[in-house]
Amino acid sequence: MSDIAIAALLVATILIASTISIEIGLSVALIELLAGVIVGNTFDLRVPSWLTFIGSFAGVLLTFQAGAEVDVPQFRREWKASVSIGFVSFFAPFAVVGLLARYGLGWNRRESEIGGLALSTTSLAVVYAVLVETGLNRALVGKRLMSATFVTDIATVAGLTVLFVKPTLWIVPFVVVSLALIVGLPKTSPWFFGRYGNRVIEPEIKLVFAVLFLLMWLGGRANSQAVLPAFILGLVMSDHYARHRIEQERLRVVAFAFLTPFFFLKGGMSVSAGALWANLGILAILFAGKMVPKFAGVYPLARRYTAPHATFTTLLMSTGLTFGTITSLYGLNAGIIDRTKFSLLIAVVVLSAIVPTAIAQRFFRPHVELEDAASLAAPATAQAGASR
Amino acid sequence: MPFDKILVAIDGSECSNRAFAKALDLATLANARITALAVEGPLPAYAATVGEVDEVKREKDLFFSALASRVRQEAKQRGLEVDVDVRPGHAAELISQVATEGRYDLVVLGHRGHFLRDHLLGSTADRVAEHAPCPVMIVR
Repeated sequence: MSDIAIAALLVATILIASTISIEIGLSVALIELLAGVIVGNTFDLRVPSWLTFIGSFAGVLLTFQAGAEVDVPQFRREWKASVSIGFVSFFAPFAVVGLLARYGLGWNRRESEIGGLALSTTSLAVVYAVLVETGLNRALVGKRLMSATFVTDIATVAGLTVLFVKPTLWIVPFVVVSLALIVGLPKTSPWFFGRYGNRVIEPEIKLVFAVLFLLMWLGGRANSQAVLPAFILGLVMSDHYARHRIEQERLRVVAFAFLTPFFFLKGGMSVSAGALWANLGILAILFAGKMVPKFAGVYPLARRYTAPHATFTTLLMSTGLTFGTITSLYGLNAGIIDRTKFSLLIAVVVLSAIVPTAIAQRFFRPHVELEDAASLAAPATAQAGASR
Repeated sequence: MPFDKILVAIDGSECSNRAFAKALDLATLANARITALAVEGPLPAYAATVGEVDEVKREKDLFFSALASRVRQEAKQRGLEVDVDVRPGHAAELISQVATEGRYDLVVLGHRGHFLRDHLLGSTADRVAEHAPCPVMIVR
């Protein structure tokens, strides 16, 4: 199949995935992943190089956006209570899955590290959606949970950058440029956005893209990863975006319309349904390898910091989606893991987005709305437009 | 008429508008207090980005804010006051729960009539009629 034919098929798939997502109320990313599995396995498509390229950039852009979506002032207020939960939530499954893969499943060291990292994540977006639905995003427990999720995410991103670096001399310009951007961009962007922003040609989005491509190029030359500086860059820009929501919206529009669909579709297309079917036992072991240490590690801390919602908190800290997909795709693209291991990791990531969330909402959903109906009902209507 | 507190479910649809109009009629006749309950449906499940959740939440907030203003205005034109309560959750479950906790005397809600879904899963009206602690008026 020619490149343009593949593009036509994939864009049609992306369109269908979007409409299904709206109709059934499921996240578009999840539908795109599943659509990728169906398309990839039904048509036996090779993944073209342009799709890998767009997917890689979209992964870095998603990481930048994840950083930009962190509520930094809230994290500053809650970091003490959140650091322990967030760090244990990262480290317990990372260590257990890593050891399990290395010594139980016979994966090599780098494969085991990718496995541990991919399954150590907590999904900020999944947690945020559930907190908003339950009204807990305005309660202390919700704020602590969001901050803890951020700690887990940054530990995952840092692990991805540090564990797989095989530095060359280019590491020096990579680190210097990353630091310069992290310090300089928040200072120069108000001027740049003020002078060149709010135009249909979108110089502010092009600035972000240029910076991310620069980091990807330098990271590649240094045998490192752009995800950590991209995440921190998003983080230092979060205050700017909090004050300029329209800029953030435009960036999201570009990302969701063209870039991230290819990222998730590529992830799905790289999954081998046959390999999954042949390895259901390993899938179950890896899923347990993520869930059991998350529970064993997070629950005791949650009882201390987020009581009386400790089980609910623990279940939400066990979710994962975006960073799990980013890590697994990095492992596949870098040739660290093969398609079978990638398929297993993605399947566990998707299961971890669905299973703990469904259990938390069905059986442990806090009745905040009934405990505090008056205070929640009013903001629900009065604060139209407020996003966080 | 023994209806001091009436709970009416609203969602902006035509059948819920008819139910709200009936509830206003009843409240006028019975001199009852009336509360309109709007149930926000779920946000996108298993989202990959906060932005995806934010956008839907913002749309919902705007929709329900407009709906609340509209029903308050309609009630005011009839010389009545209505409390509007917007909550996230599952419609049938929440309506029954609020009716129980608020000790309402009557629940009024519309029936959209979706042939396939009603026969396969049962309608919201059916479920509220089954679980509510008080009389339920279903408006077609």
